[in-house]
Amino acid sequence: MNLLRLALRNLRREWRLPELRTLAGSLLLAVLALGVVATLAARVERGILASAAELIGGDVGVSSPQAVPEAFADEARRDGLAIARTAGFPSVAFAHGRSQLLEVEATDGAYPLRGKLVLADAAGHRHDGRGPAAGTVYLDHHALVALSLKPGDTLQLGGQPLRIAAELVQQPDGGTLVNLAPRALMSLSDAERAGLLGVGSRTQHRLLLAGTPEAVQRWRTWAGRQTLPQGAELITPERTQQRMRTAFDRAGAFLHLTSLLAALLAGVAIALSAQRYARRKTPEVALLRALGTPRRRVLGLLLLTLASLALPVALVGTLCALGAAQLAWQFASTLFGGIPTELPWQPALLAAAMGLAVLAGFALPPLLRLAEVAPVAVFRQSQTRRVRRFDALYLLPALVALALIWIQSGSLKLANILAASLAGVALVAALLASLMLWLARRVAPGAHPALRLGLAALARRRSLSVVQATALALGLTALLLLSVVAPALLDGWRRELPANTPNWFALNLQDKQRDDFAQALTRIGADQLNMAPLAVGKLTAINGKPVDGLHFADPRAKEWADRQLRLSWAGTLPPANRVIAGAWFAAKPTRAEVSVDRLWRDMFALRLGDTMSFDVGEGRVDAKIVSFRQVNWSSFRVNFFLLLDPAHANALPHTWLASFHLARGHAQAMAQLSRDYPNLSLVDVDDLLARIRQIVDRVGGAVRWILAFSLLAGTLVLAASLAASAAERRHEAALLRTLGARRAQLRVAAACEFALLGLIAGLTAALGSAGAGLWLGRAVFHIDGFVPPIAPLTMGALGCAFVVMLLGLGGTRKVARTSPMRLLREG
Amino acid sequence: MVLDVRDVSKSVHGPEGRLDILAGVSLQVTEGESFAIVGASGSGKTTLLGLLAGLDTPSAGNILLDGHTLEGMDEEARADLRRRLVGFVFQSFHLLPALSAEENVMLPLELEGDAQARAKARAALEAVGLTARRRHYPAQLSGGEQQRVAIARAFVHGPRLLFADEPTGNLDQRTGHHIADLLFALNRDHRTTLVLVTHDVQLAARCQRRIELEEGHVVVEAQP
Repeated sequence: MNLLRLALRNLRREWRLPELRTLAGSLLLAVLALGVVATLAARVERGILASAAELIGGDVGVSSPQAVPEAFADEARRDGLAIARTAGFPSVAFAHGRSQLLEVEATDGAYPLRGKLVLADAAGHRHDGRGPAAGTVYLDHHALVALSLKPGDTLQLGGQPLRIAAELVQQPDGGTLVNLAPRALMSLSDAERAGLLGVGSRTQHRLLLAGTPEAVQRWRTWAGRQTLPQGAELITPERTQQRMRTAFDRAGAFLHLTSLLAALLAGVAIALSAQRYARRKTPEVALLRALGTPRRRVLGLLLLTLASLALPVALVGTLCALGAAQLAWQFASTLFGGIPTELPWQPALLAAAMGLAVLAGFALPPLLRLAEVAPVAVFRQSQTRRVRRFDALYLLPALVALALIWIQSGSLKLANILAASLAGVALVAALLASLMLWLARRVAPGAHPALRLGLAALARRRSLSVVQATALALGLTALLLLSVVAPALLDGWRRELPANTPNWFALNLQDKQRDDFAQALTRIGADQLNMAPLAVGKLTAINGKPVDGLHFADPRAKEWADRQLRLSWAGTLPPANRVIAGAWFAAKPTRAEVSVDRLWRDMFALRLGDTMSFDVGEGRVDAKIVSFRQVNWSSFRVNFFLLLDPAHANALPHTWLASFHLARGHAQAMAQLSRDYPNLSLVDVDDLLARIRQIVDRVGGAVRWILAFSLLAGTLVLAASLAASAAERRHEAALLRTLGARRAQLRVAAACEFALLGLIAGLTAALGSAGAGLWLGRAVFHIDGFVPPIAPLTMGALGCAFVVMLLGLGGTRKVARTSPMRLLREG
Repeated sequence: MVLDVRDVSKSVHGPEGRLDILAGVSLQVTEGESFAIVGASGSGKTTLLGLLAGLDTPSAGNILLDGHTLEGMDEEARADLRRRLVGFVFQSFHLLPALSAEENVMLPLELEGDAQARAKARAALEAVGLTARRRHYPAQLSGGEQQRVAIARAFVHGPRLLFADEPTGNLDQRTGHHIADLLFALNRDHRTTLVLVTHDVQLAARCQRRIELEEGHVVVEAQP
């Protein structure tokens, strides 16, 4: 108890020390940055699951081409889950002498169990609703326009007249976010009565379930053990969100990257201020030891002092993080509307724990070593502690940093790249600083007196200078990664989805329709038209062995082998594709060749030179694998797993797949196009595009937000690294002034010293962040052709050097004013 | 006359009002002379030394340092004067810990921009018998050795005046004696005026002249 009281008294007295305040500020910032981002990330994660449930219309379910066996519903009832049934099928509607193919969803009254069914009445007023009552139907805008109808009118569907009760604005659509045809929602009982769900109707039956997470999990476990009917599959949030997954994964990686960098910055500041604090405490510890305080008690006192500083600061940090997270919560909630918004407190607490771990990792080594100060150090400074060539204790901060990177990154790849990059930066900065100091010693004698003094000052504090340069380089790398590289990555992502990204796809286009269709599109103002041939086939053999008899380690391979495949061909490598092994097709290959996506290569364990056999129509193609491709699947271009060489594929029976961009507001023109080309399926992906663009924008906002924290952390690093040498600098200035140094001499010397430090740190940071950015862009964010912005990075590095010099000079003003009398007073 | 002090006073304002540290001090020191300022703690010795060396400015009176009046000179001009004319030896040595002995001695020369700094520093270290220790850092040197480095630093640029503040105060008697020998030898050989502040009576007795301060006043002026 006495020791605690002593520690608290110590803390109160030492609060005026700048290094202790920097230590506290750095810890506060680490907890705050980690807390806010962890909370935000938790929100995004929950949002993903919740929005998936919204898209499904339930928490989980079964989708099947036949009626879903009653056992699945029975088990759900036993688990206390709510049940809804739907059936989706294409059907033609008639009205005013016109016909229109519709994607019909027949639902019961319980639909939807999750999410919203948004309807609009004739006046356009929107309201939430349930599945339509018998005798009524909801039509979406495209369907209404195509058939010249409005709510209140009647149409013929499945041979029965149905009244249009409302316009269908939004429905949980299974997460496809892709509209194949104008949509209609009708009553399940009407569909059954009309015989629309009979054999051969191409109906997809869905059983949807919702309930508590535990009940849902119970049912999922049970369902996982059941044999599903042929072609049936479980509907889960993970599968549903497949299309959005890349976007969410990238968003998550961005958030983790930025928070991690902010925390590491704070860690560097903590390490520097802890070192400084330990040095300041050395004479005090020596005195305590000389007065007979046992080492254990000294250590206890040091640890208690640190703990009595850290715990309240971590608490304040947690509270601040919760407050800031509440703001972030509202900010993020616009992304996932209508989801419960209770604030989770666990991430903030976890952040406090991580902040304390950072403090322990970075601050404990110098303080623990402090306890080893010998009592004789009261008399002789050289006796302060044992000299060690290698101190294993100093591996602790590196280990904590690594652990932090691995825990926080959420991705092993991201963690490894970041850890390797930062280690590289630290190494290069230390080597460069040592080299510069070595050169400084050699250049100094012939240099201008002021420059020589500056160089001498750097060389004098050799180890401190190397530590300062390394810490600054790490700090600046983190800052440049955040302020230049991360926005550039976001821009790269945004550029993948420019305003004229194709938002419509046309399937089933025939050879003879191509020219007319292209002209029709030009007339209505569509652009970015791209057409790709499309043949439907089946993989039958690999290297002559039938796939049915082959065993694949990846279970997905079997699924793909059972499905119908989409094959295409191209003379030149399509955009968003990169050959990663082998070579693109020769001009006139003697036998059929195929280029395979990496995913397929891994699934089927394929090698260059293997032969894949496909049945296409009545014919068969045996194609040799000549290349593997990396495809950017988030590019919204038409991409294929398998591309054949055109010379051998042109003769295969095929249709064309067209993609184009058409601005919103052309429903009428598209309805006409659909009537003019009744065989075409027109697919609208605007919703999906809008959703992903929204995610990019939100992540951009979040990154900017965290950048503000990081700038604060960066300032702290700078302040801590400058403060690290402030006391020596003041003493030195007083001595130099006594010996007759002019103020200008001191200032120029300081400017040279800091400019050199800043330059070493800035250049290393620019190189490091460019390298890390390039690596991250390619390996983690998969942004094709991403090149870190060299010019802004160079400017950033020079700017950093300049700011370091200015701040150093600013700090030196006070030092240069130090009265030379100080030395006489000190004795 | 190397040092001419005329009716110098120094006062400071503290929480309890004005405090006179020095009152009407006058003294003259000639070239090559050794001069001691003695007195009890708090008598104003260090303040007077600071004023004589141009480290601080008096509240009243004037000081002529080698013919240059310090009155009206700003800190920059006084620094310039110190660099050219003055050397210092402190009680606590005040060597820069990150500099080797040789580099510490080079400092005043580096401030002058002297290209021969290293050679002159080595010669100065040789003069104080520390050639073998020139690459050592202060923490690796004994107190006496540190003070010898400080003396080499004070002499290396050939100052007209050397100010020593309790130069033997932190040393044992024997080492102190050696250091004093060294100071007086350099004073004699280089004709450098030596002004030292001490309360060591024996050391003061070795100077050609001495004054004693008591509560800011010169109470005794003597030639032993």
